[in-house]
Amino acid sequence: MKISKITSQENILLVGFPSNGLVGTFTISYLIHNLDMKQIGEIDHLDIPPTLFIEDGEILSPIRVYKKNNIFVIISDLPLDPNLAHSFAESILEYCKKNDIQKIIIVSGIETINKDLKAPKIYGLVTHQSLEEILYTNQISKFLTGSIFGTDAAIITIFRKSKIPTLILYAECHPFFPDPEASIIAITTLAKILNIEVDTTDIQKKMERLRIQHRNLMEETIRALQQQQLENQPSRAPQIYR
Amino acid sequence: MIENNDKEFEIRIASSSISSLFNDDIERQILSPLSCLREYGTHWSLEFDLPLVNKKDIKITFDESSISVEAKLKETYSEEKFGKKTKFEYFKKTITLPSKIDNKKTSAKFEKGRLKIIIPKTIFSREIKIK
Repeated sequence: MKISKITSQENILLVGFPSNGLVGTFTISYLIHNLDMKQIGEIDHLDIPPTLFIEDGEILSPIRVYKKNNIFVIISDLPLDPNLAHSFAESILEYCKKNDIQKIIIVSGIETINKDLKAPKIYGLVTHQSLEEILYTNQISKFLTGSIFGTDAAIITIFRKSKIPTLILYAECHPFFPDPEASIIAITTLAKILNIEVDTTDIQKKMERLRIQHRNLMEETIRALQQQQLENQPSRAPQIYR
Repeated sequence: MIENNDKEFEIRIASSSISSLFNDDIERQILSPLSCLREYGTHWSLEFDLPLVNKKDIKITFDESSISVEAKLKETYSEEKFGKKTKFEYFKKTITLPSKIDNKKTSAKFEKGRLKIIIPKTIFSREIKIK
């Protein structure tokens, strides 16, 4: 069995996109801010509807690439529908091959039964046995049973067939409301894995306002997730009504 | 690129649709909270996300088939909408349920800024005999 640890030399890619509780969005955005990462590129895809964001007069693409030292980040601000999810996953694989990425870590959220509101947990799923050590060393419970659909599933499907091992961190969260609190456990777990220091004071102070601020993105994400769920289970009625 | 050094933590929002922006009542300073209604075998679970709210400032009212929630924010929330800075003081939303509400058995709980209302299903039925 090949066991690999994260060394400071290897290129690691972190991926975040809107999903349950917007955990991936909050976690990766916060790391970009806290580590003062620099934008090094954008990912364009013909399937992605033409969307641009303007911030302080600067034009931004919805899917951007950031870097600091050996840490790369790909973040999507757009919730991805089933077709876009596959294109997004393929774009990530292409990017990894071009940039000699040796490991990927995806951050997402998951709803669990009997969730203890006071102590949310984090679970890990790995595509290659070589990453099991990371779960063990960082005391991350292994995601043992359940189903995954959406963008996470699209990325896992593609990467488990590739040579690039992928770790998916699932923080317990409220699936339909923005949950920045759940992202704090994801941030601290990521910091431990990457052996970096990240101060979470800033996000803790703003949790309530972030929940109000990102209502629209949450709604858009739920619509995309429901579309993905319906495509996977066409005979099942959605559980949520708005 | 804009340097992040002295910048506050902000997340860039994708507004792929602007329809939900119209849910907020800018004139009356009312925000529309996120809500979700889930069906279980014996009850409905209706949740509202109410950050920046104290339990004592929440008012829940209902009639035969709808539930309204109104809550005063503990501090003013400001947001820029359509290039104009707007201030909000309240959350307010009404949800119509697919079945009638049993007012005696309906319960509510507020934890971590989330209001959860449990509405037992009312059954007006007659028995079917199995042959």
